Amino acid sequence: MTNEEIKEQLEATFGAAITHAEVSPHGECIIRVAVEQLLAVMEDLKQNKDFDYLSQITGVDYLEQDREPRFDVVYELFSLTKDRHIRVHVGLPEDEPTIPSVYHLWRGADFPERELFDMFGFTVTGHPNMKRLIMPEGWEGHPLLKDYPLTVEEIAFSHNPDHKSELIKTQEDVKADPWA
Amino acid sequence: MGVTEQGLLERDKDTMTLNMGPQHPSTHGVFRVLLEMDGEIVRSAEPDIGFLHTGIEKTAENKRYVHCIPMTDRLDYLSPPQNNLAFCLTAERLLGLQELPARADYLRVIMCELGRIGSHLVWLGTHALDIGAMTVFLYAWREREMILDLNEMISGVRMMTSYIRIGGVAKDATPQWLDGVRKFVDHVPGKIDEYESLLTNNPIWLDRTRGIGTMTKEEALNWSMSGPVLRASGIDWDWRKKRPYSRYDEFKFDVPTQDHGDVYDRYLVRVEEMRQSREIIKQALDNLPDGPYKIEDNKISLPPRDTLHTSMESLIHHFKLVSDGVKVPKGSAYVPTEGARGEVGFYIVSDGSNTPYRMKLRAPSFMGIPGMCQMMEGAFIADVVAIIGSIDIVMGEVDR
Repeated sequence: MTNEEIKEQLEATFGAAITHAEVSPHGECIIRVAVEQLLAVMEDLKQNKDFDYLSQITGVDYLEQDREPRFDVVYELFSLTKDRHIRVHVGLPEDEPTIPSVYHLWRGADFPERELFDMFGFTVTGHPNMKRLIMPEGWEGHPLLKDYPLTVEEIAFSHNPDHKSELIKTQEDVKADPWA
Repeated sequence: MGVTEQGLLERDKDTMTLNMGPQHPSTHGVFRVLLEMDGEIVRSAEPDIGFLHTGIEKTAENKRYVHCIPMTDRLDYLSPPQNNLAFCLTAERLLGLQELPARADYLRVIMCELGRIGSHLVWLGTHALDIGAMTVFLYAWREREMILDLNEMISGVRMMTSYIRIGGVAKDATPQWLDGVRKFVDHVPGKIDEYESLLTNNPIWLDRTRGIGTMTKEEALNWSMSGPVLRASGIDWDWRKKRPYSRYDEFKFDVPTQDHGDVYDRYLVRVEEMRQSREIIKQALDNLPDGPYKIEDNKISLPPRDTLHTSMESLIHHFKLVSDGVKVPKGSAYVPTEGARGEVGFYIVSDGSNTPYRMKLRAPSFMGIPGMCQMMEGAFIADVVAIIGSIDIVMGEVDR
């Protein structure tokens, strides 16, 4: 099955749920799926198209690009037995960034999905152990969001009861004056 | 166990929770794992990471591409050239650079394979030390010192080389350096035999590693293991063969695989990989082409230093590149490469400016930790260190 055939089959099976599909010149199939149909597409990819290897899951925050929906989740899937590569994009809206877990399909999704919650604050439904991964428990905010303050953070412990962190620089401030 | 109001210890379950790390020498950095122990047997293992979190992915969103390269060194700090290469290949794909000068690719290959040998030497030494064989540790460090010296000769830095740049490499190899690499290539096979004579048929080593931390083919795929762990489970997969980059298709080398998927097989695969890397370096030295060591497009790569005094155009290009950086066209790309620990790749989203809009590292150690904790279940407490060692985690790229 070539990339073209995979693309055509997916479009035939899922129709309008696949909003974009292309085959890149570098040997990968790139599709964009509506979040409602994500699990069905993923199950089809795993069971019928032999995508047996989940390489990574990435979140992207498109806040600065004024795009609708604001977030993207990107799945990098390979078939090591059949030598195939597909990249699945899923758009998530700002008001309800909820995505189903693919942990039951690929166990490798364990850490990346926890990272999605930790770094972007997405709700991943169906993950067995959903809690912060890299940031400590009880941390406020999600660092990889584009509107997360960039340089100075709250001081967690201070002997001075009146202490307040004032110097909070946002990414806009840095972009406006990188030398400040 | 819980503490009652009287301050007495009270057993409220049949298992004991044992904390291991983050300051534990055999966790290879700051990795913490909570072990649920039933006597000597691990019932479940819960990983806890993030102690080395430095926010490299966030920082990269505010740095120019060229500034990101030294940060990639600090991810997998045991084989920095491979991180540099993965980052530069992705940036080059976004820039639409199809082909680099042959000499640049060959120098990249030599550096990456030296990095792989160096990283495997550290792994071999520390892994053997964890299991109780101290001699190998001292021997492996001795050979790694040669690689660090070679790094210093070519890039001025012993560990964080930042040698591979977008469009080529930082500077050309000197004849002295090439002589040094040749000496290393002649020196290392005998040393690998020496390590093997200490370990491969050593009954204690066999007892401690055979049948420990076993992972089948299907499990290894399902848990997203990569690199030597995948190959030790019998999956013949190497990105250098399957998606050749940097002219890896011009070299003859084998991809070692084993069938049992235990700690011993991972040891065998990595030792054989060191031999194969040595073969690749030897071929690259023998066939090293002449010519430029980076592309001549001065919009991407700095013009030669000596032209700055004579050519106005060079001066302008130099100024623009240093003060403003490379503008990378809009788009996103992911290029998988074979690092020392497995699949290393950067997913970069560019918005057309001189900084990455989003940079995500696919780190083999990060993806390998859940699978590693899976292996620990049902193992003896003494085997936990053997299992951690056999995955070869580097916390720099786990926590980023």
